[in-house]
Amino acid sequence: MGYDLNFGWNGVIGQVILGATRAEGGTRNISYRIGGGTTLPFLEGTPSSPLPLVALEICDNPEYWSPIIRNYCGDLVYSVHEWAEAAEKVYDADLVRLYLTSTRQRNFTDISAVGKTVEAVLSSTGLPLIIEGSNEPKIDSEVFLKCGETAQGERLLLGTAEAGRYRSIAAAALAYNHSLIAQSPIDINLAKQLNILLREIGVPRDHIMIDPYTGALGYGFEYSYSAMERIRFSALKGDTDLAMPVICSAIDSLTIKEVREAEPVLQDEMALQWEFYTGIAAAVAGAEVICVRHPKTVGLLKKAFTCMRTSTFFSEVK
Amino acid sequence: MALKALDVYKLLPKKNCKECGDPTCLTFAMKLASGKADVDLCPYLDEEAKSVLGATTRPPIRLVKVGVGERSFAIGEEFVLYRHDKTFYHPPGILFKVSDTWAPEEITSVTVRVRDESFTRIGTDLQFNGIAIENTSGSPDVFARAVAVVEESADLPLVLMAKNTEAFNAALIQVGSYQPLIHAATNENFREMCVLAKKHSCPLVVKAHGLDDLTGLVKNCIAEGAKKLVMDLCPQSPGDFIITSTAVRQLAITRAVPDLGYPVFLDTTHPSLQDAEIALGIVKYASVIITPPLSPASAKAALTLRQNIYTDPQKPIQMNPGLYRVGTPGKDAPVLLTVNFSLTFFTLQGYLESTRIPCFMLIVDTEGLSVLTAVAAGKLNETLVRDSIRKFDVEHEVSHKTLIIPGYSAPLSGRIEDATGWKVMVGPRDAAEIGEYLHEEWKKHES
Repeated sequence: MGYDLNFGWNGVIGQVILGATRAEGGTRNISYRIGGGTTLPFLEGTPSSPLPLVALEICDNPEYWSPIIRNYCGDLVYSVHEWAEAAEKVYDADLVRLYLTSTRQRNFTDISAVGKTVEAVLSSTGLPLIIEGSNEPKIDSEVFLKCGETAQGERLLLGTAEAGRYRSIAAAALAYNHSLIAQSPIDINLAKQLNILLREIGVPRDHIMIDPYTGALGYGFEYSYSAMERIRFSALKGDTDLAMPVICSAIDSLTIKEVREAEPVLQDEMALQWEFYTGIAAAVAGAEVICVRHPKTVGLLKKAFTCMRTSTFFSEVK
Repeated sequence: MALKALDVYKLLPKKNCKECGDPTCLTFAMKLASGKADVDLCPYLDEEAKSVLGATTRPPIRLVKVGVGERSFAIGEEFVLYRHDKTFYHPPGILFKVSDTWAPEEITSVTVRVRDESFTRIGTDLQFNGIAIENTSGSPDVFARAVAVVEESADLPLVLMAKNTEAFNAALIQVGSYQPLIHAATNENFREMCVLAKKHSCPLVVKAHGLDDLTGLVKNCIAEGAKKLVMDLCPQSPGDFIITSTAVRQLAITRAVPDLGYPVFLDTTHPSLQDAEIALGIVKYASVIITPPLSPASAKAALTLRQNIYTDPQKPIQMNPGLYRVGTPGKDAPVLLTVNFSLTFFTLQGYLESTRIPCFMLIVDTEGLSVLTAVAAGKLNETLVRDSIRKFDVEHEVSHKTLIIPGYSAPLSGRIEDATGWKVMVGPRDAAEIGEYLHEEWKKHES
C-alpha cells in the first residue's frame, strides 16, 4: 500500500549555514547547512534535511548557571575555555552555545573582556558557535558588535532578537555576516511579525532561525510543541516569512520544581530525562537545533536522532 | 460523506428505548452524526441500516476499553493528526512489563508500585496504567501463576503477552472477565486468538509489519467476529514507528482505509532507546505503551510529557481567582499579584515555596491568559486589580498596602497605584528570580 506523508505540501524550509571552515573563510572544523525539509521531520523516506543538531549550552560566569551543572562538571565551569573544549571532545556536542552571563553583573562595562571570551572559545573548539549576548538593552549594541567583530568570518548564530529588541543584534549580524535567533513568545503570528521586521531592516531570510520559545516540560511545553508544528506547516504551505529552521532551548528545564528539588542522587538523571523528553518531542515537531545544558543529554539525543531515521534498525543499535 | 443527524435519525427505530444509553433516538442520532457513538450500541438496527450507518458514523478510530473498574482506561476515538487542530482525547495507557520468569516478589513489587505510585502536577494525579505480563517461560502454568501474583495485589488493567493459546487459556481462566488486552493475533494464529477474544470478550492486539498485511489481518479478525482491536505495527526502528504510526493515523481519520481505524500498540523493545520510544509513542499516536518499569526520572518525564500533549489546547487550565497563602503568612507578609493561568500560578508558587518566605498570592481573573497576553489584551488592568483587592478582602489580611506585580505588567504600575491607593513594586519578569527579589528588594522595603 502506498501512502503519501507529504500531505500535498509544496513549501520548503529555508536553509541557514552555521559556522565556516577555513575554505569558507572561517576557522571551524565543520559547518552545517540547517533546514531544507519538505515535510515533517523524520517522515521522509529519503531525507532532504540533516538530522537535528544538539548544542551544549555553556557560560562565562557560572554564578548564573544551574548548580546541577556546576556539580556535574566541577571546576570545568570556571574556565570557559576548557568547558568549550570539553563540549566538543568529551560531551560530543554538534554546536556550542555560549551565554555571556558575565555581562549580567550590575554595571557591567568591560566590553573588551567579551572579545577575549569569544576568542578563547573560538580557539578551544572547532565547532560552530551560537553566542547569547547581554540581558541589558543598554549594552546590547556594544556586546553584539564586539562578538560579531571578534568572530568575523565564522558565521555565528547570534541570540536573541525579540520584538522590542532586535536592532542592535541585527546590526551586528549584518555588519559581520552572522545569522541570528528571532524569539517570540510561543505565538506563530508574533514569530512571523518579528521575521518581517527583521526583513524590513535588511536581515536576509537565510540568516534567521526561529525560536518560538520553549516552555519547560510540564510548564507550557505543550504550547511550544504546537507552535513549532504550526510554524512548520505554515512554512510547508508556502509562507516564506516562517520558512526558517527552528531552534529549541527549554532553558528552564533545570530550574523547575521537579528537577530543582529532586533528591540529590536523582538530580542528574532527572535533569537529563527532562531535557531528553523535551528534545525528542521538539525534534519531531520541527526543531532543527536542540539546545541542552546537561552534558549527558547530548549523547542520548544524538543516538536517538540517528535511530529516528528509518534507515537505522533496532538490530544495529548498540 | 458524513450524514446529518436527521438523516441518521430516519434510519433509527425511533423507540426511545434508552438501551443505547441515550435518552432518545434523536440524541443518539446526533452523537452518531458527529462520530461520538457506535451504531452497535443500538440493539434494534437491521443489518442494512447498520451497513449504511456503520461506515460513515462510527468514530474514525474505534474506542477500545482495557480492564474493568476504577483504573480501566479507554483509548482510540481520536479525530486529528495534530493537537492544535482540535485536541487529542484519550491519553495512551502506559503499562510496566513483567516476565513470568521473575520471582513472585519482584512481580509483586512492580504491581504495587503501579497501584500506588502517583505524581501530582497542576492539581492532577498522574499514574501508570497497568501491568503487562509476558510468557517468557513458554509454560502455561508458569504464566498462570505470574498472572495470579499480579491479581493478588491489585485490580489493574492487564496486557497478556504470549505465543501460544494454551498459555492464554491458562491465564484467561483467572482474569478473562477483567477484559485484559491480549497480545497478539498474527497471520498464523488469528483464528484461535479471535475465538479466545470472543469467548472472554477481551480486546485483542493484531500484529503485523506493513500496512497491507496489517489491513488484511484486521479484516480477517473482524470476519472472525473479534471487534475490539488494537494494532501492533511491529516497528523496525523508532523512525519506522514515526512513519508507520503517522500513516495509520492519517489513513484512519480520513477514513481512506477504515480497517486501520483502531488504536495503536507500542512495545518499547530496545533497552537503550526505551525513553526515546516512549516519547515518540506519546507524541505520535500510540494508545498503549508497554515499557519495563521506569526509573523515577524517566517515569516523571514520561507522565509529564503525556499530560502536556493530551492537554486540550482549546482551553487554558485556569485557577480560581482568590487570595492564596504560601506557608503561614502574617500581617506583614508580602502580597504578590499574578494571573489565573494555571502554569503561571504553579510556576510562581513553586519558586515562592522554595524561598521559605511566607506570603500571599493574589490571583486575579484574566480568563486563563498569561501575564504577557493579559497585559497586551487589556484583561489585566487597574480596575481588575482594584476590584480583586476588595473582593478578596486583602486589606484585612495584611497590615500594609504594598503590592508586588509581575515584571511584564510594569507599564500598569502607575495606574494600579492611582486606582487602588496601594504602593506598587515591580517584581521580576521571570518567576525564577522571585526568591532573590524578595530577599533583596522586599527586605530593603521593609527596613
